[in-house]
Order: sequence, then C-alpha cells, then structure tokens
Amino acid sequence: MFNTNRQKIMDRTDILNQEWKTRRIQPVHIMTSVGSLRGTREVIPLKTLNAVASVPVMYSWSPLQQNFMVEDETVLHNIPYMGDEILDQDGTFIEELIKNYDGKVHGDRECGFINDEIFVELVSALSQYSDNEDDEEEEEHDFKVEKMELCEGKEHPEDPPALISLSVCLSVCLSVRYKELTEQQLPGALPPECTPNIDGPNARSVQREQSLHSFHTLFCRRCFKYDCFLHPFHATPNTYKRKNLENQVDTKPCGLDCYMYLVQVSQRSFIHSFIKYHSSVNCCSPSSVSVFTIFTSIKQMGGKNSSFVRGNSRCQTPVKMKLTGEAEAVEWSGAEASLFRVLIGTYYDNFCAIARLIGTKTCRQVYEFRVKESSIIARAPAEDEDTPPRKKKRKHRLWATHCRKIQLKKDGSSNHVYNYQPCDHPRQPCDSSCPCVTAQNFCEKFCQCSSECQNRFPGCRCKAQCNTKQCPCYLAVRECDPDLCLTCGAADHWDSKNVSCKNCSIQRGAKKHLLLAPSDVAGWGIFIKEPVQKNEFISEYCGEIISQDEADRRGKVYDKYMCSFLFNLNNDFVVDATRKGNKIRFANHSVNPNCYAKVMMVNGDHRIGIFAKRAIQTGEELFFDYR
Amino acid sequence: MSGASCKANGAVYPASSAMMNSVKKPKMEQIQADHELFLQAFEKPTQIYRFLRTRNLIAPVFLHRTLTFMSHRNGRTNAKRKTFKVDDMLQTVERMKGEVNLPLFIPSQNSENEQNSVSLEVLLVKVCHKKRKDVSCPIKQVPTGKKQVPLNPDSNQTKPGSHPSLLVSSNEFEPSNSHMVKSYSLLFRVSRTGRRDTNGLVNGEANENIDVTDTPSRKKRSSSHRDEGETTETFVAQMTVFDKNRRLQLLDGEYEVSMQGMEDSPVSKKRATWETILDGKRLPPFETFSQGPTLQFMLRWTGDASGKSTAPVAKPLATRNSESSSPMETRTSNHRAALMTVKESVSTDIQTRKEQVLCEPRQKLRIFYQFLYNNNTRQQTEARDDLHCPWCTLNCSKLYSLLKHLKLSHSRFIFNYVPHPKGARIDVSINECYDGSYVGNPQDIHSQPGFAFSRNGPVKRTAVTHILVCRPKRTKPSLSEFLESEDGELEQQRTYVSGHNRLYFHSDSCMPLRPQEMEEDSEDERDPEWLREKTATQLDEFTDVNEGEKEVMKLWNLHVMKYGFIADNQMNQAIMLFAENTGAHIIRRNLCRNFLLHLVSMHDFNLVSTATIDRAMARLRQIQEELPDIEEEQQDQTVVSAGFLELEN
Repeated sequence: MFNTNRQKIMDRTDILNQEWKTRRIQPVHIMTSVGSLRGTREVIPLKTLNAVASVPVMYSWSPLQQNFMVEDETVLHNIPYMGDEILDQDGTFIEELIKNYDGKVHGDRECGFINDEIFVELVSALSQYSDNEDDEEEEEHDFKVEKMELCEGKEHPEDPPALISLSVCLSVCLSVRYKELTEQQLPGALPPECTPNIDGPNARSVQREQSLHSFHTLFCRRCFKYDCFLHPFHATPNTYKRKNLENQVDTKPCGLDCYMYLVQVSQRSFIHSFIKYHSSVNCCSPSSVSVFTIFTSIKQMGGKNSSFVRGNSRCQTPVKMKLTGEAEAVEWSGAEASLFRVLIGTYYDNFCAIARLIGTKTCRQVYEFRVKESSIIARAPAEDEDTPPRKKKRKHRLWATHCRKIQLKKDGSSNHVYNYQPCDHPRQPCDSSCPCVTAQNFCEKFCQCSSECQNRFPGCRCKAQCNTKQCPCYLAVRECDPDLCLTCGAADHWDSKNVSCKNCSIQRGAKKHLLLAPSDVAGWGIFIKEPVQKNEFISEYCGEIISQDEADRRGKVYDKYMCSFLFNLNNDFVVDATRKGNKIRFANHSVNPNCYAKVMMVNGDHRIGIFAKRAIQTGEELFFDYR
Repeated sequence: MSGASCKANGAVYPASSAMMNSVKKPKMEQIQADHELFLQAFEKPTQIYRFLRTRNLIAPVFLHRTLTFMSHRNGRTNAKRKTFKVDDMLQTVERMKGEVNLPLFIPSQNSENEQNSVSLEVLLVKVCHKKRKDVSCPIKQVPTGKKQVPLNPDSNQTKPGSHPSLLVSSNEFEPSNSHMVKSYSLLFRVSRTGRRDTNGLVNGEANENIDVTDTPSRKKRSSSHRDEGETTETFVAQMTVFDKNRRLQLLDGEYEVSMQGMEDSPVSKKRATWETILDGKRLPPFETFSQGPTLQFMLRWTGDASGKSTAPVAKPLATRNSESSSPMETRTSNHRAALMTVKESVSTDIQTRKEQVLCEPRQKLRIFYQFLYNNNTRQQTEARDDLHCPWCTLNCSKLYSLLKHLKLSHSRFIFNYVPHPKGARIDVSINECYDGSYVGNPQDIHSQPGFAFSRNGPVKRTAVTHILVCRPKRTKPSLSEFLESEDGELEQQRTYVSGHNRLYFHSDSCMPLRPQEMEEDSEDERDPEWLREKTATQLDEFTDVNEGEKEVMKLWNLHVMKYGFIADNQMNQAIMLFAENTGAHIIRRNLCRNFLLHLVSMHDFNLVSTATIDRAMARLRQIQEELPDIEEEQQDQTVVSAGFLELEN
C-alpha cells in the first residue's frame, strides 16, 4: 500500500518536475536521498517537524486552595536577580531594598560561623579524643573560643591573660550550653512548662486547664484546625457560653454497681422529704438540677458528712458496703485523675458517663473520687435565668432592623474595609467600643458576645438562590453562613456541588476547572474548561495573606520584575499569589474583561472571588480588571 | 468528489514563471541590484507557495471547487438532494444489477411540444476488418433506437428520471459471425422535425447494456434560426466505443457532443469530436462547442461483472486519468477558457450559468500585477491575460474569485485591487504581519509520532475543536472588498472557534497536558502534599506541646484539610468520621486519652455535643475490640503506663 502510494506520488512529481523544467520552475523534492555508510543509496521520506514554541517563563510557586497567612519578613531573604544590567546599572535599587529591611539580609549570622548544631557536633566529635586527656579538651575548647572571638572581633589574640580568663569563663558557659543542647535531644524530655503526654508513662495528675491547655490555645475555632494557617490569634474557649445545658444526668443506673444505688439508699434511709424532691427532679425537670447537687445539699442540710452516709449505707446494704470498702483502696493514676478533672468540667455529675469515658474506673469509683475532690471542682453552672428563651417575633424584628442596617451601611459606604477579628469584651455589650463595631464589621459566630448581640449578622432566610440583592447576605457582600442561613440550602448537601444556594461557592471551593496555556496576550494565561454563565463563580484568588507594609516591601521587587500577583484584600491585608496561589493567578489583566473580582466576607474571612462578568465559552481565556 | 475530478481542478496550467524574471532594461547593474531586492522580497514566499501547490496537487487538503467563491468550478449539482428519497437508492441498486432493465425513461413533457423536441436516432456503427476483397472496411450500422429529446430544456424542469433513455444490448458488442469487428462507435443522428417516434427499444437480455440518456442541452442561435425553415435538418456525431484494439473509449459519464450538420460535411470519424469533463485530450478546436449544436447525454454501463464481457474494465480509466494532467498543460489559454465554458454549460445550476454570462465579457481582461517591495518604494509590473493565480496556476475564471483566492490562500502577501481601464491592477506587497503559526491540533506537535496509532490498545485523544461547518454572514461578492482600505482598519475578525484549540500545560511542572489528563484537575486538591507536611512540621515546632497531643492534632488537621469542613454544624459528623477513619491508628498509637481530650476541647468550643463524645468514644472502643492482635502486641509496652488496658484484659 505504502509503496504503491509512494510510487504514485513519485510519478506525479516526475511529471510535474518535467513540466516545470520547461517552465523554469524549481523542481520539487519529495524524497531526499541519503548516502548511507555502506555506500548504497537509501531514500527516506522527508518529514517536516513543526516548530515547537517555547513556553513562557514561570517562577515556581506552591499550589493552594485557601489563603495562607504569613508573618512580615524582617530580613531580606534574597537579593532578587533581575539580570546583570540591573545589578550593574541600578545598584541603588538593591540598596534601597536592603534599607527597607533595616539592612538585614538572610544569612548574616549573629555569631559568625558557628551555630548550635555545629557546636554540638563539634563537641561530640572532640569528646571522642578527650576521654584520656582533659587538658586537651580544654585546649580544644580554647581553640574554639579563640575562633569565636576572632569572628566576633571582641578580643585580640595578642592579649593572652585576658584571653585565658575569658576562655575559662566562656568554657564554663559553653559546657552548660552543651549540656542544655544535648539534654534537649533526649527523646521524651519536655520543658517543664509542658504537660506530659496523658497517654504516656509519665502522665501526671494535673488540673483540667493544664490538660487541655494545648488543645485550647492551638485550636482555631474558625478553621477547626490546630495552629491553622490563616488566623494567628485564637480565642480560648473559656468565655464561650454553653447555649443549652445538655448535661443531663442519666436517669437510669448504668448497672448493678452504679453509684446511684448508693446515693439512693442513703437518701432513702435518711431524708424522706428529699426523696420526693429527688424523684421529681429526675422525672420532671431533667435539665435542671443534677443528682449530685441534691446529694450535696442533702449533706449540707442534714449536717452529716459523707462518712456518716457511708456508714449508714453499710448497715442496710451489705453488698454495697463491700464495694465502698474496695473503692477506697483503688488507686488513681495521674492520667486517670487528670482525665477525671477534664471530664468533670464537661459532664459535671454524670458519673456514669465519666466512668465510661475513663474506661478504667467504675462510676462508683468516680463518685468516690468526686467526693474526695469536691473542694476543687466547680459546680454545674445554674441555668442562665437572665436569658429567657427568645421569642420568634422578637427575632423577626431583630432581623428586620438588621436588614435596614445593612442598607444603611451600604449607602454610607466608605471604601475602607477592615479585617474582621472576633471581639472579646466580657460583660459589655457590643457598643461603640467593640472592635467589630468600629471596624464596621458584623459580629460573627466567633465573637465572644452573646448570640443576641445587636451587631450580629442574622443570616438570610431565603428560599431562593441568594444571587440577588433580595438576599441580605448577597447585599452585604457576604457568603451565606451555613450556621446562620438555614433555609437557603447553604447548610445542606455537603457532599454534592448541587446546592440550591448560589452564594456559598467560595467556602465550598466550588471552583471551575481551569487550564493553563500560553496566553494570547502575554505570558501565561488561564483558560476555562467548561462554559459558564454570567455571574457564576469561577475560582477564588488564593495566596499568601500579608500585611500592607509587607506588601509595600514586596511590591517594590515585583514592580521591578514588572510582574505582580498582589491583590488588595482589605485595609489591613493583601493577598500575594507570588509564592503560593492557585491557577487563577495566571489570569491576565484586561480593560474589557470577562471576569470580575469581588472581595466577600466568607465566614469571618475576607476572600476574593473571581466571577464571570458575562457568559464565557469553552476554552476562553479569563481576564479581569486588575485596577 | 472523486480523485479524478480534483485532479482536473488542480490540473497543471501553464505557470507564468516570467513573473520572476525582471524586465530587461539597459542599465545592467542597477537592474541587477533591483532584481536582488525583488528576489529578496518575493522569492521565499513564492517558493513556499510553489511547494504548497504541488503538495496540494498530490495530496489535496481541500478542493478548490468546494469554496464558495469558487463555486463555478463545481460541476456537480446538488439539485438532486432536494428530491432525494431513500427509496431511490433501491432503484439505483436495482438498476445497477442489470436484471431490471429500465427500458425507457418517460419522455419529459417538453417532448410533446413539437417546437421543443427533436428526434434522436442512435446507431451502433461496427467497422469490421477488411476482407481481401473489400476496398474499404465494411461498416455495419445497427440502429438501436430513436427517441424524442427536448431541445434546449429548462434546467430546473429536467428531473433526473425524466430523460429519455436508450439501451444498447451488449450482444451487439459480441463478435459477429460474418465479420471480425474492428471497432464500435455510436452514431448520433438528430433530425430536427416534429415527428415523434415511439418505437420501443430492443432490450438486451444480456447483462451489459448501455443506458443512454440524451439531452441536447442547447442549440445555439445559429441552429435555431435555421430551424425556422421547413426543411428537416440532420446533425450527426459519432463516438468510438471500442477502438481498434478493443479498448473501451467511452466510460460512464456525462458527455456533450458537438454535432455537425449533415449537409455541411459528411460524417467522418475525424470530424466527430468528443470531450469528457475529465479527459483533456489535445483536441481540435473547441470553438465548435460555441458554434454548433451540442448534444448532452449521460452514458452508463450497467450490469454486473459476472457477465462474460471482456473489454470494459476499470483499468483504462485509471491509466488515462493519471496521464490526463500533462496533455492539458500544453494547451493555450484560449482553449482553457473554452473548456471552462463547456464545463459550466454542463452544470445545470442556474446560478452558475448566470454568473457565467456575467463573466463572459471579462474574458479578455488584462491583469497587471504590480509588485511593491523595498518598503514599497519600488515596483515591478507583470501583466497577464488570464485569471489564473500566478502562484498556483489555479484557474479562478473570475476576477472576484481570483482576488479572493489570492487573499485567502497567499496570505504572505497583501493584495490590493485597483480598477484599471484595461482590466485590473493588483498591488502585491509582502505581508509583514503574516502569522504562520501552527493552528492544527496542538497535541500533534508534542505527542510522539504515531502515538495515536499505538498497537497497545486504544489511546485517548485530546478534545480539540475544529470547525467542520461554518456559515458566517456572507456579504455579496463585490470587488470593492479588495480595494485598499484608507484608514487601514483591520478586519475585526473574531475567532469563530470556541473550544479547546490549544495545548494546555500542567501548572506545576509546565509539562504539556496529555489527552488522558484533561479531565481531572491535578491541582485542585484541598490538601496538597506540601501543605500536609507543613501543618505537621508547624506543630512539631512547638516545644510546650507533648507528643501525644501533637499526634492527635496532626491527625485531626489532616482530617479537616481532607474533607474541608466549613460549618459548625458539620463538626459532630466530622468527629464521627474522624473516629471511623483514624480510630485504628489512634488505638495502635495509644492515643485514646488524647483523642478524648481533643473531643472535650471541641466541646468546650461549643462545637460538639456530649452525645457525640460518647458516640465517638464508643466507636473507638468498638474498633479496639475488633483489633485484638494489636492490643496484645501492645500490652507489653503499655502495661506499665496505660491503666485501662490492664483492666480490660
């Protein structure tokens, strides 16, 4: 087949070429003949390769789907290279740049050439030789010290007495330092302020706050993560109020050995009037008063101590008597005691539950332990009487006023948008002194103020798609809060992308598939895979969140490069997609763009959403107006 | 759409290589330098277009006749499409079988009008071998039939099935008993009388029939004038079916035969000229077509190959066609023009015929190509008398088509049309903005050659948008569109294509995105590797957090990052999922209490209920029971430390 085809082509070309010869046209070469090494002529077809265009320059970056907050850089990490010309011609630029960082450039070591690691390494290396001769070690130390001095330039080597005295003093310091450093390397060793591992062998009996300290301080209530990337300051949960007291005491004993029998027996035998009360409590008002409170009140009112109670119970129920005797003998490990203290702060007097969670103690034992520890444990907080259950009508009114307020805010809008920080001013309403109010932000669910706070955003009650100004969330340039907007669907269908609410795309990361290719305009460009409708969410513009000052400093370098990924987020922060970002960072600028950017308040964070300005077709390049 | 016809379209016409040669003028050196400049400017693009031309001849990428502005090159008509019915296909097939002979097409209604029809007699002329006694070759004439055919039929009234047809039995081509037949030819005899002959045909029983559909398309005015007279005029034409070597000369196709008046000259083989659309023989004057009456007919060999027929095979077609291009080249331009005229007359499309009429007066116009170069400071002029593209010798036959062709196919140049008293002037300059970038499937550049045809199984190919059909709003053809625009406004040509017509790259590695990678977004993970590592190292850096806490925190962070929880009311669910997914790991790593602390902490933040804590811990216990081996394994390690394990055992 191939050969016949080729023969055909050859014939045709021959005919053509013959014809052209008469017409003085250059003949066409279809085949090129190549003389092979063996001298035979071989003919190979001419294959024309397409020129492959080189791709534009791309500096490396890390992918990210959520913003990442970074601290200001106090030292210049690198001196940017922008070609030899810049360095030669425009030296002032680099100088100015260094001046921005107070002359600090990364790599300038404070103590010269040696750091802790090298020091430890050196000493341990030397100690191999110094087993026999201590003097030598000393000398070695001296030598090292000398070196350090040299580099620090404090002392002249020509000054022997001073050097020796200094070296002695220094060697002491160094040996202390060495010890510190090596001890730190031992596994499992912890600084004294750290609570030992509760699951570890060294678990100590500590207070509740201590046990939970790390969890409380590192947990970010907004990201649900420990030591999150976005919020440097985390509120501790201390002042968070329980909305409802869910700690209901189990009304039924958990088993034969349940502490409840103990309590009940003691109660029955002594104060009959309280039995009634107790049962009524148990049956009728389950949420209010716990058994233990009753019990303690019994104790207090009867003027009896616990031993008295126990003694009586012993007489009447011999089996339990035996149990109580055992209970006293039980030893509580540090971990168990800590755990108990943690749980008592959550479960209060639900000893059965506590025992179940501890797992190694029975509820009776827990109960006994509770009695022993009664002095240090707080009571279950009484129900908040000052917060009567809200009426629907009131709530509705509240909502209406808010909508008005939003409108007002919109009208008198200043261009200044400030970052949101949860407010925390105990026992003070959110008035003009509240940081949220002054920053013209709403109080969010993360604020420590009461849920009744006037400055709280009430969320929407839409049943539609929340993509018009009818939706208060949309109007306030906020995404619907899944914990506030319960009717629009923002809180439903977590797994699927088909949410009825169209105003929760950023938080859900419902971005479109984007494709990277060399742009039709400049450098790289980003292209959309599927067509989108007008106003549809395309992607979030993610990057590092840096302060305005940091942005100024970085911007100087970027301006020089003529390539900037900075995006103003609010008055306090800037998003910089240079080092970390997502693909939308490749979208180019256009004065007639097909996308627009909108900074939205998304669950307490300002985030940049890129939306379609018009219907966009498959494979179109995306642009938005940078200005 | 056959290969043969496209060859005819792209037939090599005389190229004007003279264009390249500078005009000889006295000052030799100056001329030399000028010529250098000229070559510098035009040599390369011209060579490229020469090459492309050849390539297009050998392996055409598209056919010129399919272009709108070249529609007059398209001899085929789509008129049948409107009346096409699927049932017709059956008919066609049956006809081809030859079993069902279609004796007669019903004569078109025009035939009833005496004025508009002529009678046609077809005779099969057998020229036999001379026997010794014969002076001349004995000739046998076998009448095959007589038909009324419409005269100058209106093309839209002629329906495919309405032509009269004649069948010639293949028996006639069998060697006759008495004489060895040397050659067969068909003699057409048209008599201009009102007489109608309804004689039936002798239908051949053999498989092979010649089915002739005759349609004298038009008689020129001269002949119609003569018709005024009462005398019966007879026109004849003869065509060879088998030549002396028993080679088939008449193949399937549409023919137009120029007829000779009987009185003018006796029928002779030499005078009978025939022309096929495909075959361009070096022919006697074509003027006959424009002068004398012509007969259009369609010839079809029917019958299947099972017959004992010997002569007509497909072979001759191929060989002759392959040779056909070269003889055509030798023709002069005048003949070519005539050829085109004939072709156009064959087509029944009214539209083209009208255009044809419009075109005819322009036949003689001269076109001056003015080459501008050296920053448009110098110029050279070449004149041509025809409407052939100087680069690819394509006969555009109309000035508009020529200009459009130049503009679209030779975009390395800029062509500006300037009206000229003698014809047209076309200013040619180099297009500095020529974009020769590759516009095909971007994958083809990067994918390995032959990858798509790998033998290891099917290979996914990229989705690339190609335009198959594009129907933009067409403006009426007007020469003014080639005039030089004064304000230099560029045509706002928006790309018609919307779709993926570029090569995409991975955003992390800048590697080309392969077709099979198109669907998944490789960079869309919520928890990229580096971020997972980062959260671990960041927690590790804390000195005042113990290792148990760190481990639970890391596990939880990864869990949250993986699922991307965003709402408080997801937390209960998240905790349960956490217990489910990492429960076994937590037990193995002996982190149960830290896990509980984490839950309590979450509860302190008012994110989970105590019920969730209970449920999560219960689930953990359950998982623990399902892992008995590990428990025992760990017993040794934990016997000192973990109290609850002791107790449970």
